[in-house]
Formats: sequence, C-alpha cells, structure tokens
Amino acid sequence: MIFWILIAGLTAVAALSVLVPLSRTRRLPETVASQADEAVYREQLNAIETELERGLIDADTAEAARTEIARRLLAAHERVKAAPGASRPKTGLKLAQAVAVLALPAVTFGLYLLLGTPDLPDQPLHARLTAPAEGQSVDVLVARVERHLADNPEDGQGWAVVAPVYLSLGQPRASAKAYANAIRILGPKQEWLTDMGEALAIAEQGLVTAEAQRAFEQAVALEPSAVKPRFFLAIALGQEGRKVDAIAAWEALLDGADPTAAWVGAARQELARLTGETPNMTAPRGPSQEDIAAAADMSRDDQQAMIRGMVSGLAERLTTEGGSVEEWNRLIRAYMVLGDKAEAEKALASAQAAFAENQNDLSRIKDAARQLGLSGS
Amino acid sequence: MVIEFGHYALVLAFALTLVQSVLPIWGALIKDERLMAVAPPVSVTLFVLVLLSFVALTGAYLNSDFSVLNVLENSHSAKPLLYKFTGVWGNHEGSMLLWVLILVFFGALVGAFGRNLPADLRAVTLSVQGWVSAGFILFLLATSNPFTRVANPPLEGADLNPILQDIGLAIHPPLLYVGYVGFSITFSFAVAALILGRTDAAWARWVRPWTLLAWGFLTLGIAMGSYWAYYELGWGGWWFWDPVENASFMPWLAGTALLHSAIVMEKREALKVWTVLLAIFTFSLSLLGTFLVRSGVLTSVHAFATDPARGVFILGLLCFFIGGSLTLYAWRASTLKQGGLFAPISREGGLVLNNLFLTAACAAVFVGTLYPLVLDAVTGEKISVGAPFFNLTFGPLMVPLLLALPFGPVLSWKRGDLAAACQRLYAAFGLALVLALVAFWAWGMEMVLAPLGVGLAVWVMAGSVSEIVTRVKFFEIGPKRGFARLVGLPGSAWGTAFAHFGIGVTVLGIVTASAFQEEHVRTMRPGDTVDLSGYEITFDGAAPRRGPNYTEEVGHFTIRQGGAMVTELDPSKRIYTARQMPTTEAAIHTVGFSQLYLSLGESRGDGAVDVRVYFKPFITLIWIGCVIMAFGAACSMADRRLRVGAPKPARKRPSAPVAAE
Repeated sequence: MIFWILIAGLTAVAALSVLVPLSRTRRLPETVASQADEAVYREQLNAIETELERGLIDADTAEAARTEIARRLLAAHERVKAAPGASRPKTGLKLAQAVAVLALPAVTFGLYLLLGTPDLPDQPLHARLTAPAEGQSVDVLVARVERHLADNPEDGQGWAVVAPVYLSLGQPRASAKAYANAIRILGPKQEWLTDMGEALAIAEQGLVTAEAQRAFEQAVALEPSAVKPRFFLAIALGQEGRKVDAIAAWEALLDGADPTAAWVGAARQELARLTGETPNMTAPRGPSQEDIAAAADMSRDDQQAMIRGMVSGLAERLTTEGGSVEEWNRLIRAYMVLGDKAEAEKALASAQAAFAENQNDLSRIKDAARQLGLSGS
Repeated sequence: MVIEFGHYALVLAFALTLVQSVLPIWGALIKDERLMAVAPPVSVTLFVLVLLSFVALTGAYLNSDFSVLNVLENSHSAKPLLYKFTGVWGNHEGSMLLWVLILVFFGALVGAFGRNLPADLRAVTLSVQGWVSAGFILFLLATSNPFTRVANPPLEGADLNPILQDIGLAIHPPLLYVGYVGFSITFSFAVAALILGRTDAAWARWVRPWTLLAWGFLTLGIAMGSYWAYYELGWGGWWFWDPVENASFMPWLAGTALLHSAIVMEKREALKVWTVLLAIFTFSLSLLGTFLVRSGVLTSVHAFATDPARGVFILGLLCFFIGGSLTLYAWRASTLKQGGLFAPISREGGLVLNNLFLTAACAAVFVGTLYPLVLDAVTGEKISVGAPFFNLTFGPLMVPLLLALPFGPVLSWKRGDLAAACQRLYAAFGLALVLALVAFWAWGMEMVLAPLGVGLAVWVMAGSVSEIVTRVKFFEIGPKRGFARLVGLPGSAWGTAFAHFGIGVTVLGIVTASAFQEEHVRTMRPGDTVDLSGYEITFDGAAPRRGPNYTEEVGHFTIRQGGAMVTELDPSKRIYTARQMPTTEAAIHTVGFSQLYLSLGESRGDGAVDVRVYFKPFITLIWIGCVIMAFGAACSMADRRLRVGAPKPARKRPSAPVAAE
C-alpha cells in the first residue's frame, strides 16, 4: 500500500512540474530574448574595451569591432520587433493541462503495469539470509547454514544439522563430508557414522565402498545392537560375493527382529535372493535397495510423490489380491506417516474385514493400530 | 519496493520526456510563453526521476539483491564494496542507465542555469534533449531493462568481468560518458537553432560552455581509458587504434573542431553553417560510437552481452537522430546568413585551418574504423586496419596542424600580420630548433623523425607560453606590472594556453615513448638478470598466491641501478575463478616522467617464465598532457565573461541602445 501511495506521490510531483509553470503568468518572451541578446553583445563591447586598454588591439580595430557588434545588436532588436506578438490560445493550454493531469499518469501506470512486478518485494541477500526460517526455501536455509559454517567451521552441531538435508537434496557427498566434520568435532556417534556410511553408499549408487564399510563398522563397534549399520554391512557382504557370510549376517539380523519394522521385508528378500529360494509369499515385499538409493537421490517433493506412489500401489494390491497382516499394518502406518488419517482408518477397516475369521491376526492388527493412535472397531 | 519504485520512476521519466518533447517546442512555435516555461522545471524533474531509479539500482547492487536479473548476472556477494558500486555501470543495462542519467543531467543543467538564454531557444533545446532522452529511455525499457526481476532468485550472482574489477571502472566510464553524452546538449542547441532559424554570435556564446564541459570530460575519459588499457592489458601499449577507442576519439576530434569554429562564430559571426553542422556531427559520432560498442558489431570488453534486438534499436535511433538532424540541416541551412568576412591570414583563417585538419583527421579515423566493418558486412571479407594505416593518414595530418597551432592565438582577428606573428614566436621557434638539434646530437642521425617530433612538441609548448608572455608584455613593462597583468588575463586566454601546452606535452610523450622505448621479451629463470636502460632487472622467482576471488602467479623482481637497489616489482598473472578468466597485472615503476614496465607471459616450467620488460621514457607525459588540456577547458569555463548566469536586469536598460549607436 505504501508503495502505491509513494508512486502516486511521485506521479503528482511530475504532473505538478508541468502544471505549475502552465498556470503562471510570465513576462513576455521578447523581453527575455532581447535581454539575453543584449547581455551577450554588451559583454563583447566590454571585452573590446578591455582589450583596447591592454593594448592588445589598436584603436582602429576596436572601432571596427564596435561597429560590428553594434550591428549585431540592432539586428537582434529588429528580429524581436519583427516577431509576431505572443498569442495565448486557451485550447492549447487546456490540452497541455489535460496531458499533465490525465495522459501522464495513464501512460505511466499502464506502461509500468506492463513492465513492472509491483508485488515482488526487494530481496537483499542479507535479509534473505537472516529472515525467520518459516516459509523459506530449503536452498535459502542451506545457504544460511553454509554461511554460518564458513564463519564457524568448528560448529559440529551445525554440520550435524545440515548433513541429512544435503542427503535429501541429493548431495550425498556433501552430506558425508558434513557428517565427517560433525564426527571430527563432536566425537563419533553411531547414528552419524551410519548415516555417513549410507550417504557414501548412495553417492556410489548403492555400492557400499570400503570407506562406507569402515563407517558402518565403527558404528557397530559403538553400538553392537544397532540395526541399520548391520543391515548395510550385510548388503556389503552380499556385494562382495561372500555369500555364506552374508547369509549369516542377514539371519543374525532377522533373528529376534520386530517383524513390523520396515527394513525386515527388504532383509528377507535379500536373504531369499542369497539362499536361492523364491521369497516366501507371505513375506512382505519392500522397496529394493535401489529404490532406497533412488529415494535418497530425489528432492523432497519427488520423495513424497514416490512414497505416495508406493503406498497406493500397495493399497491396490492388498485390496485386489489380499496380503499378509504385516503388509496391511505397513499400509496403515504409511498412511499415518503421510498424515492421511482417513485413509489409514479405511485401510484398518479393510484389514479387519480381511482377517475377520482369524482372531490372532485381528488382534495383531488392532495392536499396531493402537500404537499409531487409531482405534479399530 | 525500492527497486520497483526505481523502475516506476524510470517509466515516469519516459512519460515525462514525451511531455518535454512536445509542449515546450509547441509553445516556442506558437509563441506561448507558458508552454515554453514548462521546459526548465520538467528537465529538473526528469533528472530527479532518473537519479531515483539509478539510486534504486545502485542499492540493489550494494545489497546483492539477486531478485534483479541485472544484479544476478553481473554481481557477486563476495565482491569488494567498490566493485559492487562500480558494477552498476559495468554491464550493458546499467551503463545505458548511466548514459540516460547524464543525458537528463545536462538537460537539467540547462534548465536550472540557462536563465540567460532566450526563452524560445531554451524551450526548443530542452525539447530536443527530450527527444533524445525519450529515445534512449525507450531503448532501456524495451530492450535492456535494468529492473527485470527474478521471482525465486539463486543465492549467488555470476560476478563482474574480472578485467573490469579495477579502480579504472570507477573513473573511466563516468568521465567518458559526461564527455560523450555532454555533446548531446550542443546537438540540441544546434537543432534548436535550425528550427528557430537563429544562429548568431550570441548562440555560439551560449553553446560554448557546454562544449567546453563535454570536451574537457571527454579528454579526461579517453586519457583514463588509455592508461587503464596500458596497465591492465599487459602489452605496454597506450593506444591501439582499436575501433572502440576510435569510437571515442572521433567525437573528440569533431568536438575539438567545434570548440574552435564556435570561437569564430562567437567573435565574428562567421562559419555559422559549419559550426551547426559540426555540432550535429559531434553528437552523431557519439551515437555512432554507442552503436558500434553496444550493438555487438565489435567484440570487446565494452560489448557486454550482445543482443541483435539492441543493435537494431540503436541503429534505428541513430538513423532517426542523425538522418533527422541532417535533413533539417539541409532544409534550413540555406536560410542562415553568412557572417563576417576575413582574410586568409587571420585568427579566423587559423581556426579554419584547424577545422580542416581536424575534420580530415576525423574522416581518416572514420574510414579506418568503419571500412573493415562495412567490408565484412558486404563481402564477408575480414581485414584489419591497424596502426600502420592510422600512422600514415592521421600522423601526417597532425604535423601541419601542430606546426600552425602556435600561430593561431597570436594572429589578430579579421586581418592578421604574419610577420608580426613570427616576430612574437621567434623565441619559441629558436628553443624548438635548439632542442631538436640536441636530440639529434644525443640520439644520432639514424632516427630522423624522433628529434623532429621533439622539436614539434617543444614548438607547441613554447608557443603557448610565449603567447601568454607577449600578451602581458612581460619584457616591456617589467615583472611587477607584468605579474599584475598576468593575473588579470581572462580565463579563456589561460584556457587556450593550457590546452595548447597540454597538446605539446602529450605529443612529447608520444614521440619519446614510441621512439626511445627499450624493450626485452625473453624467458627468464630465477636468478636471471636483464639489463635495460641502465637498470639491472633480476628475476627472483615466481610463487602462487590466492586473492579473494582469484588465484595468481606472482613474479618477484629486484631492480638495481649501478648495483644499488631501486625497487622491487611484482607483476602477476591472475585467473579469476568464477569465470575462469585470465588477466595480466603489470608492475610499473615510475621514475620522473618515465616508467619501467614489467609483465609476465607464459610459464615455461621449472620456474622459467616469459617476461616482457619495457622502459618507456616520458610516457606519463601523454596522460599528463591530457589532464593539462582538461584543465585548460576548466580555465576557459571559469572565465567570468563566459559563465552561465542571468543577465542583470537591474542595470540601466538604455545603456545597450546607446552602445549600439
């Protein structure tokens, strides 16, 4: 609003600079013109006197020059006399006033609305970097943290904050570097080591490199029960072709694992692939490691889209072909994670209908639902 | 909001230039003084509006506001503050905005200080200035809008061309533009004179301060550009006859001619038609220069991003203003009465001679600059017209001009006495002859031209000194009264003397620096020593170094003379990381007026590097001479009789008719 008031004010000033002189009554222009001419020629006459006085010209030359200038003066006078008298047509003045009051603002506003972007505020870099975090794009937030870290490279917590963001922005190498910095400054932590290893693996299209493997091994050393690093180490064994070790690792991992955990499906699938069995039909199918890697490579929006795609694919399969309790539970959980409570309740109802005969399965579904804050009927 | 406010101000300025283009000239034609009175306040408002938009853009640069496309494409948040500021005009859009700012600035000056002008002349002049301003603001808005916005800008810009990241960018373009664009006002005066049918001595007197102002700044701008190229490009050359240089040199030559022919018109009412034509030509050449530089016809550091649409638009403006003014000239020139008569040997005759040579020289530069472009456009054949062409055409034209130069100011108006003039100049001639002979004796006979050149330069310098000395009759009336008269001399006399002396100084610099320059180009290993002009230059080695936005290879040299250390020099080669562009940073040691110039070439491995070493005797005189010339223009402007000011109506009115009788 202030902007519109300001530009209206500016336009008014511009219009006034046209209107004020138009409304003033002035001396006749001839007076001014003859005065202006006279001033010049009088000055030249004075100059001749000075030059004569200085002896730069002799008396004859001075006389000749005087005559010449006098002739110019007369000519100037005659020209003024010969000029037609001033006319003061009213229409011309009215038209000029109309131009100042109407045409000037109209042309300016029209042209500005065509060319300008009045709604776009100024965005000085400093303000962009210090504005409240809400509603800022991820790029800006990352740039802010980067600037902060450039000034305070020893802020380990800062590195730990930015590391997962890099991963979700599809910059796994930057993410691994940030984790490495956080670990260097604040000391090793299982989660950071694991995530660093994951970032390194994603940077290599899912291949667990020696560097990534070292990170996972350190993570396991810190927390032997941690699942994620062991999961990746098992994948690494499989990738190396150490089939027996890999099978042992997968079995150890699955032994006593919570069957509802998201990773279990993938682990079973991997195990089945290694043992050469066709995967158990009841074992839930999960996203492959390629899918995980792909997910990490995507931007946040793409990730959401992919998750939604996977969820709806699962829902369709379960309603048409049916599925295991674990799969139904996963679907319900997925809906809750996506914040879609209505869909989650619908899925819960369908699951209860599908397993209505089996009391055991039904109670497992109800337990899982209760954990998610849903009340099964 | 500030940016959009600036954008709006520019659009409003455009609409207001349309008002300015129509109302005052209409008023002048129908003799309505109220319509004419619109011109001065509107010209000031225009300047304020364009200034507001310029300030808004500058603010965007200083704040690194990348939501402005122009800032995004030409700035970087890590750039030093000075380059953020100068970067405003270090690109096409911003520099055109500066162009327009100076255009309306000159309009505002005439509006604010032109009270001594007849109302109709002032109104029409400002209207014509309004046409030019409207054309260029439209050009900005239509093809090169500096206020184009980006909704979701990235966080970093593309940085400024590294060659432009120099203090020179703060000085050279504004000076040059004040000169270049300043000639727009003489153009407007000329067109107004044609429209109103009044060209007389008074007109010439009113135009003269504007010509002087523009000419002085153009002189400084060209000199600064030359020195910048000299130390930045690493070749040790100070003038390359590059089309972009010529583009600024042509208006200078035409402007110099205009300056002199306007004197004749002011004093004797002669050369009226010619002076008006020169005023049109001078600004036309400025426009042509802008077209050459900005259309992408030439590739150079000045071209920035090229866009065919811009070239076509400027070409259109060029055709409109040059074609229009020349048509008007052809139509109205016959109505102009020829003025006073004069003998060939007279002050007027000398100034005509000056005009002949200057315009011929300008034509030579014009042909040398445009012929290759036209040939390329017509036949596709690429030729380059370089220094040899200009040395053979421009050079010979300058010699008679300089020989005749000292005679001009000592000849009297209308009918001069050559014998008396020679008598006044014999001392200067004797001095020049003696120094030329000394030069022959010192440098031997193998270089014939150089001692003659020294003699010529001394002739011009001594001539302008002796003009002042004889004017005050120093030797006849004794030193005491002589000094009193010296102080009392009018500013224009001092202006003439200084400007002519400056020419001599520049010529001396050119002759000595070209003829007696010594250079060594060789590959040096650490520890190597080169002897040049009595200096022992030892290469101590090169080392990499890191700057804020570049990396560089710095060579370290120790300069000794007779075993005693004189100085240490560190020339370097930089790579600007953002654009991966190399630049050369020459190292210069100034001894008196002479310079020792070192620059690095290719690295040869194992520490060896190509080194160019120059000793350039008296080279700084080239630029010092230009500064003296500009000072001369300032003296002349300060002349009380020329100062723009209101005539005093309080003085007794009848005095003028009495004087006339």
